[in-house]
Amino acid sequence: MAKKQVKRKATDFVDKKKLKDSEIKSTEDDEEEQDLQEDLLQKISNEDNDSSDDEGTEQIYQSDDSDELEFESDEEGNYASKWDEGVGSENSGDEEAESDDEEQEGSDDEEEEDSDDEDEDEINDSDIEDISDDEVSDEETNLKERNLPKSKKSDGNIKKNGLEASTSANAKKELELQKVKTSEALNDFKEELKDPNNTLVVPSKKEEYADSDTSDEEDIRNTVGNIPMHWYDEYKHIGYDWDAKKIIKPSKGDQIDDFLRKIEDPDFWRSVKDPQTGQEVVLTDADIELIKRINSARVPNPEHNEYEPWIEWFTNEVERMPIKNVPDHKRSFLPSSSERKKVSRMIHALKMGWMKTMEEVEREKKEARGPKFYMLWETDTSREHMRRIHDPVSAPKRDLPGHAESYNPPPEYIFDEKERKEWLKLKDEPHKRKLHFMPQKYNSLREVPAYPRYIRERFMRCLDLYLCPRARRTKLNIDAEYLIPKLPSPKDLQPFPTVESLVYRGHTDLVRTVSVEPKGEYIVSGSDDKTVKIWEIATGRCIRTIETDDVVRCVAWCPNAKLSIIAVAAGNRLLLINPKVGDKLLIKKTDDLLAEAPQNDTMESERIKTAVQWSVAEKEEQEKGVRLVITHFKPIQQVTWHGRGDYVATVMPEGANRSALIHQLSKRRSQIPFSKSKGLIQCVLFHPIKPCFFVATQHNVRIYDLVKQELIKKLLTNSKWISGMSIHPKGDNLLVSTYDKKMLWFDLDLSTKPYQTLRLHKNAVRNVAFHLRYPLFASASDDLSVIVSHGMVYNDLLQNPLIVPVKKLQTHEAREEFGVLDVAWHPVQPWVFSSGADATIRLYT
Amino acid sequence: MEVENGEGQVQVRLKTKQEHFAIPDVPYTVEGSVTTAELNTFVNTLLEQAALNNSEYKAPIEFDFIVFDEYLRGRLCDHIREKEFSFEDTIDIEYVERFPAPEPQDCLLHDDWVSAVKACDKWILTGCYDNTINIWTVKGKHVLTIPGHTQPLKAVAWISVDDQRGKFVSCSQDQTAMLWEWLVGTNSVECVSICKGHERGIDCVDVSPNKTKLATGSWDTMLKIWSAEINEGCEGTFKRQKESGATRVPDITLQGHRECISSVQWMDAETVLTGSWDHTLKIWDLHLEGIKSEISSNKSIFDASYSKLNRLIITASADKNLRLYDPRTNQGNLVRNTYFGHSQWVQTVMWSSTEEYLFISGSYDNQNKLWDYRSPKAPLYDLLGHGDKVLDIDWSNPKYIVSGGADNTVRVFKSRKVMVPEPTDDTK
Repeated sequence: MAKKQVKRKATDFVDKKKLKDSEIKSTEDDEEEQDLQEDLLQKISNEDNDSSDDEGTEQIYQSDDSDELEFESDEEGNYASKWDEGVGSENSGDEEAESDDEEQEGSDDEEEEDSDDEDEDEINDSDIEDISDDEVSDEETNLKERNLPKSKKSDGNIKKNGLEASTSANAKKELELQKVKTSEALNDFKEELKDPNNTLVVPSKKEEYADSDTSDEEDIRNTVGNIPMHWYDEYKHIGYDWDAKKIIKPSKGDQIDDFLRKIEDPDFWRSVKDPQTGQEVVLTDADIELIKRINSARVPNPEHNEYEPWIEWFTNEVERMPIKNVPDHKRSFLPSSSERKKVSRMIHALKMGWMKTMEEVEREKKEARGPKFYMLWETDTSREHMRRIHDPVSAPKRDLPGHAESYNPPPEYIFDEKERKEWLKLKDEPHKRKLHFMPQKYNSLREVPAYPRYIRERFMRCLDLYLCPRARRTKLNIDAEYLIPKLPSPKDLQPFPTVESLVYRGHTDLVRTVSVEPKGEYIVSGSDDKTVKIWEIATGRCIRTIETDDVVRCVAWCPNAKLSIIAVAAGNRLLLINPKVGDKLLIKKTDDLLAEAPQNDTMESERIKTAVQWSVAEKEEQEKGVRLVITHFKPIQQVTWHGRGDYVATVMPEGANRSALIHQLSKRRSQIPFSKSKGLIQCVLFHPIKPCFFVATQHNVRIYDLVKQELIKKLLTNSKWISGMSIHPKGDNLLVSTYDKKMLWFDLDLSTKPYQTLRLHKNAVRNVAFHLRYPLFASASDDLSVIVSHGMVYNDLLQNPLIVPVKKLQTHEAREEFGVLDVAWHPVQPWVFSSGADATIRLYT
Repeated sequence: MEVENGEGQVQVRLKTKQEHFAIPDVPYTVEGSVTTAELNTFVNTLLEQAALNNSEYKAPIEFDFIVFDEYLRGRLCDHIREKEFSFEDTIDIEYVERFPAPEPQDCLLHDDWVSAVKACDKWILTGCYDNTINIWTVKGKHVLTIPGHTQPLKAVAWISVDDQRGKFVSCSQDQTAMLWEWLVGTNSVECVSICKGHERGIDCVDVSPNKTKLATGSWDTMLKIWSAEINEGCEGTFKRQKESGATRVPDITLQGHRECISSVQWMDAETVLTGSWDHTLKIWDLHLEGIKSEISSNKSIFDASYSKLNRLIITASADKNLRLYDPRTNQGNLVRNTYFGHSQWVQTVMWSSTEEYLFISGSYDNQNKLWDYRSPKAPLYDLLGHGDKVLDIDWSNPKYIVSGGADNTVRVFKSRKVMVPEPTDDTK
């Protein structure tokens, strides 16, 4: 707006100049004026009609006008000066030859014009206030220009006798002037005389000033102001003039008068009634021309050249030299933070799905239009499609280079011979190297050669990125303690053995096996020193030593308390020994039982005969207590009793398909239960209640029904070598020890796989044993320790056994990497016996 | 509090039951950190002052101080704090003449483990793992070796002994108990009768106070009561008369224990106390032929001893501790006290027959210990000497503490305590 205003000002100025010019070349313009007069004939009637319509806009304009004023007061100086320059140059360009006289006046002249301009503006304002006439407001658009024609007119009046006026307002005023005063020239002249300041100035200028002043003074103005004039309709006067005298309405003629005037008065078509004064005003030719131009939507000033050459005050061309020397502000080259925030907000909104791109919107629309499908199996919680956005997997980061990567690493980083060898040794498995390169030393960076492995490492990096897991591994943020099952504290599980109480010393070689008398007064042990010893538990006294002629691999006290027999596996022979301790009656009864040979009516097959021979012990051995000898064809590894004490089973691992045998004492008969061997049999076991037989091969345990003679179950241990097994007295749980450091608890009702795998020992587990009464089991291992565990089996089938290791007993001494070889429980007390390679048996209570 | 830290002072009142050591009954103020030795000096000083008048006092006497029914072993303030008594009250301290340390007197060598010892007067009866019974004098003189059993001896007991003849019983793993008559003069011994009836080894035996009955406990879980009469006279029934001589059968067989009976003792003429591996003590009434009361513990009991003086039971069980039971209470905490000190199983324990507060114990850690039951933290004396497990200990003769062990020896310790001239209980 301001600029526009300025422009208009500028054009005013130009017009003014032009008017000045026109003064000079007035003669040339005369012809044009005549044309204008012709045009005006049609336009005047229009003008009357339009005047009332334009009232609204006029008022707005007025208000705008005040704005202009303010604006001009601020910046007018600058712009004005510019415009002056421009105008000046234009002028000079246009009329170099002719305006020599003006140029003579120089800058003084221009300055005066400036001040003149300002003055005129002020005058304008007053004018607007003064002019209360509606008619006048018609021409308000050209209010500004009114000044120009005024000056022009004043010039013109001097030179062309007052016929030239560019604006209608001026024209009106001039009409008034003409009416009130007889001659303008005289008026002007009067003014010149009045003004003492102007005496020295150029006469044209003086007139200009005088004109503007006088026009105000001599104007018969209606002082009622801007009121609806119909208020005066009923009065003879129409308002008051400056002297407070009534302005009498001119007499109003009737139709005939009008008609007559129309006929008579040649100026009738150009006479207009001033609504404020009621006077008839005859428009000048200039007025008419102006009206004409406005009607035809042309620039009111005929002198105005619309096609003046364009002066690029603000050029778009890049200057070769910068105009200003101020360095660019920082923000001109920094990315805007507010923009960045805005962008990031938008990105976030996009990520969150609050905002959608056009494509997405388009796609959604398309989907909404088409048929809808639902994923039946998709859970409500699945958010996989948003996972990439919400939880992106960042690429694995590489380590930052350290000192070793330097081209000139500190000497401690450079490999010495040993490190170098080690590095080279790991050639086949480079991932085990601490550094994937060998630190090299160069004296300067410029000597560093191209890195030979660059391509390969880039490739590996790409592979890493390509193969890196896309799904993020959710790290459990759970306390490790929380995951450990809540186990009762060992204190609550008492009683169990906690301390070593007695050491049974006497053997001279490793004690392979130990077995407890069912009453719990004695134990029997078998050793590599080829003896079997019977000990009194309470005192640690060796009651009896029975020498055999081979290494004793296994001893087993007959579990039937009514019998007093120990089965001893010594080499190839199974000795049935009467220990002669305990009840004398029983000893005697047992002797009698073993002495009489039953009638053997069944013929034994050749297969058994070659494997086993029964015989009564020799006299020498009889004295030692040996009653029966069952000679096997291979060394016996293990011997185990059936609960009733009539059957005893032996294992000969080398016996191929005859490696497991069952002997019946009462009939002195042997059976080979399996015609084929399913593997290297390690140990066998009778079920305590049911007629079942457990056979452990190296890898698996098979359970056979002895009555139906069929395989019931095969337990998969998933271990390499079974060493021993023990069955819970209730018969539903089996404990298997293995040489690969494990113990496996099988719940026979549950599954063929271990219910629990106990990795308590650091070395091969030699044997395990269940307590007959307490919920305890113990394991013997080559790591010198006996570990006592609480193994509670509940009667409730829904409740799984509770297994809690409670005590590690480690008092045995190491000997030739053997530790504890066997473990046995006291039948009644929570005491455990262990036999070790250090030739001792130890009692823990 | 500074007193608790041993810096302050406490008021004490010193008392004694031994009147000849009495001192004026006035409260004294002593340092909280005072120990037995300092108190001892203090009391002796007081006595010395008093002795100036009557000149009875001769030499410094060793005293022990009992505060709140327990021996003072450390600092007084620690003791009070432990007992949770107020530091501000006047504290009664009882002082008693310290029991003199027993002296090792003799070592009786055997051929095998000595599993049973019993002293009476000047005779010591030992049972040995080489199936023999030996008679020694307290002076260490071997009197007699008696073979007879076929398996190791487990228990022996004197029935009576006088100058002419002695009667004793021996029990063995061969399931028999043998009654012997020993003529001192000719030094000849005769097996009067063999008690047969147990189905497994007999582990313990005791003679009734009136010397007429025997009680034996065995591995067959039975308690059997036998007649101890040797010269079968008027009391014996016709049937018993007929059978006696060679063998005799039990008068009463009492079944109740589930495990081996490891100790038996007559409490009075009709009551027998038994301890068993099944973790219980049982008191049997022979009139009713049943169990009068039962005390359960959580360990197998190896030995139990009942004191007629204080009517308390001390037990040795399958751990390192001795426990004191009061059979008269049957509710609350039955264990009155636990005595810590041994490092291995305690195999045998016995009350003093004359001293109310004293008992001795023998353990597998090769030590005998003399205890005052008011001092649970530490024994009065350790009786060293054995080179192997102690299997049996006896203090029937108040002058001698006799113990037998797996080092094939019997150790005799002389108790220096001047006997109060009063008939001992075991002579009843």
